[in-house]
Amino acid sequence: MNIKYFKIKHCIFLLVLLTAACSDHGIEPKPVLKSPPGFSGTIRFISEWPDSVKRSFLVVFKNPLKSDSDFTILNLKFLSKEIPLGVQKHEFSSLDSAYIPATPGPFSSGSYSYVAVVQQSTENLSLARKDWFVSGVYYANNDTTTPGVMIIPDSTFVKNININVDFNNPPSQPPGGN
Amino acid sequence: MKKNFLKYFFVLTLLILLINANKLFAQTYSISGVITDTKSKPVPGVNVFIIKTNIGTASDDKGNFKISELKNGTYTLEFSAIGYEKLIKENIVIQDKSIILNIVLKESIIQTEEVLVTAGKYKQKKSELPVSAEIIAGSEFTERNFSNLADAVRYVPGVTMTEDQISIRGSSGYSRGTGSRALLAIDGLPFYTGDTGEIVWEMIPVSEIQRVEIIKGAASSLYGSSAIGGVVNCLTRDISEKPLTIINGFYGIFDRPYYNEWDWSGKRRPFNGLTLSHSNTFGNLGFNISFTRLEESSYRQDDDFKKYIGFLKTIYNFSSVSSLTFMANTFNKRAEQFLYWKDSRNALVMPDKNLNDRIETNRYLFGLIYKNLINDKFLLNANVSYYRNNFKDNEIIPNESTSNLYRGELQLNSNLTDFIVLTSGIEGNFSKVNSSLFGNPVLHGVGVYSVADISFSFPLITSIGLRYDYSKLDSLDGSGMISPKFGFNYKVLNNFILRSSLGTGFRAPTLSEAFTSTSSSGIIVKPNPNIKSEHNLTVEFGLNYSPFNQLNLDLAVFNNEYYDMIEPGIDPKDGKVVFTNLVRARIQGLETSALINILTDQLTLSFNYTYMWARDLETGLALRYRPRHIFYSGIDFRKWNFEAEINFRYTSRVEEIDEELIDLGIVVDGELRVPVYTTDLKLGYNFLSTGFPLNIYLNIKNIFNYNYIELIGNIRPIRNFSFGFNLAI
Repeated sequence: MNIKYFKIKHCIFLLVLLTAACSDHGIEPKPVLKSPPGFSGTIRFISEWPDSVKRSFLVVFKNPLKSDSDFTILNLKFLSKEIPLGVQKHEFSSLDSAYIPATPGPFSSGSYSYVAVVQQSTENLSLARKDWFVSGVYYANNDTTTPGVMIIPDSTFVKNININVDFNNPPSQPPGGN
Repeated sequence: MKKNFLKYFFVLTLLILLINANKLFAQTYSISGVITDTKSKPVPGVNVFIIKTNIGTASDDKGNFKISELKNGTYTLEFSAIGYEKLIKENIVIQDKSIILNIVLKESIIQTEEVLVTAGKYKQKKSELPVSAEIIAGSEFTERNFSNLADAVRYVPGVTMTEDQISIRGSSGYSRGTGSRALLAIDGLPFYTGDTGEIVWEMIPVSEIQRVEIIKGAASSLYGSSAIGGVVNCLTRDISEKPLTIINGFYGIFDRPYYNEWDWSGKRRPFNGLTLSHSNTFGNLGFNISFTRLEESSYRQDDDFKKYIGFLKTIYNFSSVSSLTFMANTFNKRAEQFLYWKDSRNALVMPDKNLNDRIETNRYLFGLIYKNLINDKFLLNANVSYYRNNFKDNEIIPNESTSNLYRGELQLNSNLTDFIVLTSGIEGNFSKVNSSLFGNPVLHGVGVYSVADISFSFPLITSIGLRYDYSKLDSLDGSGMISPKFGFNYKVLNNFILRSSLGTGFRAPTLSEAFTSTSSSGIIVKPNPNIKSEHNLTVEFGLNYSPFNQLNLDLAVFNNEYYDMIEPGIDPKDGKVVFTNLVRARIQGLETSALINILTDQLTLSFNYTYMWARDLETGLALRYRPRHIFYSGIDFRKWNFEAEINFRYTSRVEEIDEELIDLGIVVDGELRVPVYTTDLKLGYNFLSTGFPLNIYLNIKNIFNYNYIELIGNIRPIRNFSFGFNLAI
């Protein structure tokens, strides 16, 4: 076997790899967005708060809630902090501190199939489907027959994601509840 | 319990002293001498042992060796060292007087056969093993300024590290220190914590290491539960016959980050370390003692640390055939806790809410090892150890955990004939935990094993073994399993060796995998009382070929089938992290390596490539944190008293990471990950020829300042420069 062949072959291979190694610097900072994507809106409570409600949240799901298995934490892209009990109006923004995402910041652009206000009666915050009751849903284009899809284009902060909550007349519930 | 343990220590020590009292006055002799190379330079670290016995030693820094307490008789000695041709001296006759030998070793161009201890729990040559094994020389730590054993392990073929978690041929992903599929041992004493079962690499005093042996593939048939993916055994330095003081230190700085956005401190951040060690022998008693202090002002904000490592090894030789070793290893660490970055524009800074997290850790390992060569056929090895761990953080409600792990092992090596070595033993452990994270569970475990290595003349070595393990985790049902193994090593030609092994592995869940209940920085972990043990089936086929003196090639193909593999994941119903059993996983691949001596003893090239296919067979997805391609290479040049080395490491971009942490917005920009390309340079100079026992080193790591992660949201060290020295007086 020719030793020179080995020397040359491996030296060239090593040089190629070294060149590749110094040609870039790996992970780099993402560019600053001129207008970070996100959403904001207003929730209006048009009836009295029932005493049974222990806490209430704004939630945003990426995919439609067609079955029990769609109600998962991985489909849940936004879970606000608690809406103050008894308020008549609550303004929100994706830049607010929330449970999900844990760190406030730009909200990923894309379409979100289910935006709603939910209530719970349990002692502690629960992520089990059975402990959630939907008290208001976001509708797009005044179509109240199906939940509205929230679309956030790239570099766009979408406003007026408004929801009305009537505790006396709740919307139809997604599958998997009691 | 602690009182009882100390009582057993005392009773065991007393018993051993009594058993050996009669041997203290027997008439014995020694074989001693100096080992030099062909240029009359002393050769340190040469393994010297008497063939067909377990008696041996190693030469010290001045090439001196001594095997004492030998009776009259005829002996055959073998001398072997990396970089030298093996030498066998036959017919050395001791007749009422000691023998002095002057040994000259010839330099070899190919690495000679090294002696291994770990693979079969007795001395075997690497070239005779049925499994793949790698060795890291202890000098690497000083020369390349590795203050942590994990840093050196990163360059071992087929091994990857995800931060501080080892993965041998893809055995592990990342679980924040919980559980390990490789067993770390120090001089044969298993070294895992009683609560998390993790390996604490930073506790090992690297300046005390003579060499590290890494066995790939399931070694459960000998080592039990934790060795399902492999074994890492650290062998500490031999005790010097004469006073020897070593001072080892380094000082370094991290360069400024490549991107201005990341330059949070505006400074080059320093790090340093100093080790003082002393070794000596008084009569039958010898000792190594060392103290290490490490300090780092990290390149990342809120990631500084101070570490203090103490180490003591004492050996009392009752005779040439029996000894008692006491070992103590202590560790104190005060550190900030960097969990993950704020975002990609603040990659070296933590989220505001996590700033100022601190942790203090105290760990202590004490061990006793008793060895007695009962006769030429039987070697008894008994060891007990106690490993205490405590850590506490500074949360508003502090997390604190203390674990006490007690273990003991009795092992007998039997040279039944000149062709059969039987290694049998029994091992037991008990762990008691008091923790705000895991509760107060207890763990019991017991193992019984026996492995026979049979040598045939053709020349074929076969290895057949069996181990039974039983583990009971507090309130969970106990589980046990029999782990058989079979392997062979066949030397087809002098330069062509085939090897193969088939074995099963078993790992019981750790206390932390079953009982962790905590919340930290947005990550909530919940217990899984239904978790089961995992097991695997490993097959390996390998060959080693040296077509000519300057070239050595090695190839191995492997397949690991995992059943009920324990992996962390997110419960989609509540978003909490939980350890669960994957139904089936498969890791298969091939590993190749080439060692080329371009200029004898002066210029060496090495290449290692590993391909891995690691899949969850249920979902078809890649297992997390397992790269598909791993490539390491190095160029080593040594001439006169100067040495230079360049090491390059590549791993492909991992396919799967903790996507849930991105989805839940816990790690912003967590999807950013790249292939790893790192290049390190080492320059060294040896002043020994001038009569001054000093070595100096300059290391530049990550020369091209390449930014990469091993773990989501954690940039690995940026370019850094360090100067180190090693002074042996």
